[in-house]
Amino acid sequence: MSGQFPAGSAIELVGLTKRYGTSVVVDRLSLSVPRGSTFGLIGPNGAGKSTTIKMLMGLLAPTSGSARVLGFDVATRSRDVRRQVGYVPETHQIYRWMRVGEVVGFVKLLYDSWDDRLCEDLLDRFALDRNKRVKHLSKGAIAKLGLLLAIAHKPEVLVLDEPVSGMDPIIREEFLEGVLQAVADGRRTILFSSHNLDDVRRLADSVAILCEGRLVVHRDTDALLASTKRVTAVLKDGCLPRGAPEGVIWQRVARREWSLTITDFSGEVLGRLKDENPIETVTVEDLGLEDIFKDYIKGRRAVE
Amino acid sequence: MRIDPKSHVPIYLQIVEGIRSEIGSGLRRPGESLPSLRALAVELLVNPNTVQRAYEELERQGLIISRRGVGMFVATTDEEVTRGSEEEAVLDTFRKGIASARAARISTRGITQLFEVALGQTRRRAGGRT
Repeated sequence: MSGQFPAGSAIELVGLTKRYGTSVVVDRLSLSVPRGSTFGLIGPNGAGKSTTIKMLMGLLAPTSGSARVLGFDVATRSRDVRRQVGYVPETHQIYRWMRVGEVVGFVKLLYDSWDDRLCEDLLDRFALDRNKRVKHLSKGAIAKLGLLLAIAHKPEVLVLDEPVSGMDPIIREEFLEGVLQAVADGRRTILFSSHNLDDVRRLADSVAILCEGRLVVHRDTDALLASTKRVTAVLKDGCLPRGAPEGVIWQRVARREWSLTITDFSGEVLGRLKDENPIETVTVEDLGLEDIFKDYIKGRRAVE
Repeated sequence: MRIDPKSHVPIYLQIVEGIRSEIGSGLRRPGESLPSLRALAVELLVNPNTVQRAYEELERQGLIISRRGVGMFVATTDEEVTRGSEEEAVLDTFRKGIASARAARISTRGITQLFEVALGQTRRRAGGRT
C-alpha cells in the first residue's frame, strides 16, 4: 500500500474494518480527505463513527484494511500520527484533580512543537483560570481546555469526536468560534463527527454518511445538496409505479402519492420518470441536509 | 447577515447575497475594507474556505476588490456597485409583475406582449418630455 497515498490527501482509509467476534462495527470503509479541507462524519448512533476515529488515532487496531494520516500508517506509525494530529475525544480524559496550569505543563512535555505563546493566548481567549482544578471547571470550560490541549502543538490535522454534544447553545458557539479561530489561518485539515447537522452544514466542505459501519455516501456538501431532490408524483387512479429511476435513495407510496428522494437528479431523470410511469402531476423540491441524511438512512434500512 | 444552515442555498452564496445587500443598503461603503477570512468565518460560524469562495465570487462580480497583502475592499467604482443593486431592484419589480400576471393566468406570450406595451408607453412619455 505504500506509495499509493495521494499527495493531496491528509487522511486516507482503505477497506478499514473493525470486527468484534461476529459483529462488524466498521465495514470496509474507504475514503480520502483532501489537505486543508473540513470533513464531517455523520450517522445514527452505533454507525461506527467513534470506532473509525479511534482507529484513525491508533487507539484501536483495525481488523483489516488500513488508515493513513499525513501518509503515516496508523497501525505502525501511530507515534508520528499523534505528533501531527490534534485529537479532541468524545469524553475528556483530563486528570480531574490537577490544576489547569499543571495539565497544560504535563501535556506540553509530550510535544516538541508545543507553542507556549499560542497556549497562553488560548488560555486567555478561552478565559481558563490556570489555578483552578479541572474538577471545578464547567462543562464548557473542560471542553475548551480539551481543545486547547489538542491544538497548542499546532497540529496539521485536527480530529474531533462529537465535540459539541451536550453543550448549551452559547457554549457550543464559543467552542466552535475557538475551533475556527485556531484553525482558520493554518489551512488545517479537520475531521469531525457530529449529530448536529446545522454545524456540519456550516463547517464541512465534504460530508460522509455512515450507517451500520458502512459508507453510504461521501460528497462535497454543496454538491450533495444541489443534486438531491424530493420528487412527489400523483399516480393515476388505481395505478402503481412501474419503475423507479436510477439514483433513488428512498421512496414511499401512500395512496396516490409516490414520494422519491433522488440523487444526481436532472431534467432527464424527471423525463424518464414521467415517461415510464402512470403519473398525473409531479413536483420537485429542494431538501436540507437533515432531510437528505434521514432519507439516506431510511432508504438504507428499508433495503436490509 | 445571517446564515441559514437549513437552507439548500449554498452557504457561500448566502454570504455573497448578504454582502451584496450590505453594500446595497449602505452598511458597507465603497473603499471600506471587508473582514479577513478568519474574522468573517468566526463571526458567521462557517468554514474559512467557504468565506474565501464567497469573496472570490464577489470579486468576480466586481463588487469587491482585493489589494495584495492588505485584504478585500468594497469596490470604489460606485456606478458598478449601485448599478448592480439597482438592476437587482428592477429585476425584483419585474418578478413581482410576472407573478401577478401568472396569478391572473396570463400566458408567457401575453406577459411579453404586455411588457412591450408598457415599454412603448413609457418611451412615448419620455419622448414627450424632451
